[in-house]
Amino acid sequence: MSKNNGNSLLSGLSDAMADAVETAGTATVLVNARRRFPASGIAYDSDLILTASHVIEREDDIPVLLPDGSKKSAKLIGRDPGSDLAVIRLGSSVAELAESAEGEARVGQLVLALGRPTPDGIQASLGVVSAIGGPVYTRHGGLLEHHIRTDAIPYPGFSGGPLVDSSGRVLGMNTSGLTRGASLAIPVGLAWKIAESLAKHGSVRRGYLGIRSQPVEIPSSHQDTLGRQQETGLLLVSVEKGSPAEKGGLMVGDILTGFAGQPISESDELFARLAGEVVGQPVKVEVLRGGHLQEDTVTIGERK
Amino acid sequence: MILGIDSSESIAKELTDVFQQVQRSLVVIQNGRGGAGVFWRTGGIVVTNNHVIHRGHPRISTLDERQYPTQIIARAKEIDLAILKVDSIEFGDSNLGVASIADSHQLRVGQIVLAIGHPWGQIGAISAGIISSLGCAQMRDRRGTLKVIRTDARLAPGNSGGPLINASGGVIGINTMVVGGDLGVAIPSHVVNDFVEKTLGQENLRVAM
Repeated sequence: MSKNNGNSLLSGLSDAMADAVETAGTATVLVNARRRFPASGIAYDSDLILTASHVIEREDDIPVLLPDGSKKSAKLIGRDPGSDLAVIRLGSSVAELAESAEGEARVGQLVLALGRPTPDGIQASLGVVSAIGGPVYTRHGGLLEHHIRTDAIPYPGFSGGPLVDSSGRVLGMNTSGLTRGASLAIPVGLAWKIAESLAKHGSVRRGYLGIRSQPVEIPSSHQDTLGRQQETGLLLVSVEKGSPAEKGGLMVGDILTGFAGQPISESDELFARLAGEVVGQPVKVEVLRGGHLQEDTVTIGERK
Repeated sequence: MILGIDSSESIAKELTDVFQQVQRSLVVIQNGRGGAGVFWRTGGIVVTNNHVIHRGHPRISTLDERQYPTQIIARAKEIDLAILKVDSIEFGDSNLGVASIADSHQLRVGQIVLAIGHPWGQIGAISAGIISSLGCAQMRDRRGTLKVIRTDARLAPGNSGGPLINASGGVIGINTMVVGGDLGVAIPSHVVNDFVEKTLGQENLRVAM
């Protein structure tokens, strides 16, 4: 490269971007688990690789190419098609692990999408965070609490690779397998949480309450009772016999307004709260019953 | 890295400066398929893509809208490069000049790049991106592969033959099209340099074809 113009900020930014690619590239691996189109993965914990569930078409002897050129064979540990995440195990630790970004992605922030779909070296594209999206229902009936949209080009084989900030720290995992025709990134906090569950249980445990509900408006007088501005809640239209909800004291006619200290105004939000590590845990459920605020403790069951 | 508002403004200004500097060496290939080219060396040596020129004496125009006839002194179909010579041009105190050529051996994925050309006929347009990958592409004659720079900067027909430049304004490659219509690809400047050296090194500068 030609000598930089000394104090050039543009050259500095250029070098910083290349450094970011280099840093994050040391933890971006090639995962070859489907015919013809290899994809990418993120080395995140000793011998564990996080990748996209939709690129995994075999469970054993998955060829993985590490950034140093060494070839490994991995085994599927767990997958969650709902969030398009899968964890595979190499059997021996890797030297470089991905580092997560502090704080969440911000709209407008410069980001790099990375992938290693070929043995020719790391690939990257530059963009910005276009939007932080709210809950989305995914193709396999899953629900993502939130997701990152970016205008960085998702090249073929980028699924499973990291979306990183300008220091090379991971903001999310890229995938084009969740929503048709669009690529998005699963925020790193959520991805690690699901990965932990996958590594431990082989699947994501989803909580079970045993209720059916529909969203209803909360009258303003009852909003005063809540002590916050919340316009909707979930009216319980049935409570299954012997279910965690019944055991916890929830009744038909209750308006569910909060779960584990978080306001719930739509069923999406409740679904999101029921994912992950709440199974088997006692959780405080806030309801409006006859205009009075009440809190019941429900021990969350597991949806089979 | 942390950048303040001042830095962002300075970066924007630097981008403009780099663009203006490189524009001096940019040409339009007139009676071909509307490609771009770049003054690679003194003596009126212009490098462009082979696929944007026809036979004969392609005319070029510079950014001050003057037109010049050229001679084709070499063309290499397999790497899609051609060298033209403008006999009558004197840069003098004009705004024109020879591009500064950067070494393309030390490129890194992630580096900021700018592509300058005439996409869809828009003269002297710029697009920005990064180096997306450093790999190989199939040659146009399908006889082998060639080291190329891939970029996520948007390229369109009309960028062909134009320069891909780095953050300090050095030319790191010539934008081109390879088999399969893969647009975001550039031939590294060291490959171009080798071709220019080989051609101009020949004592007998015969006009090709």
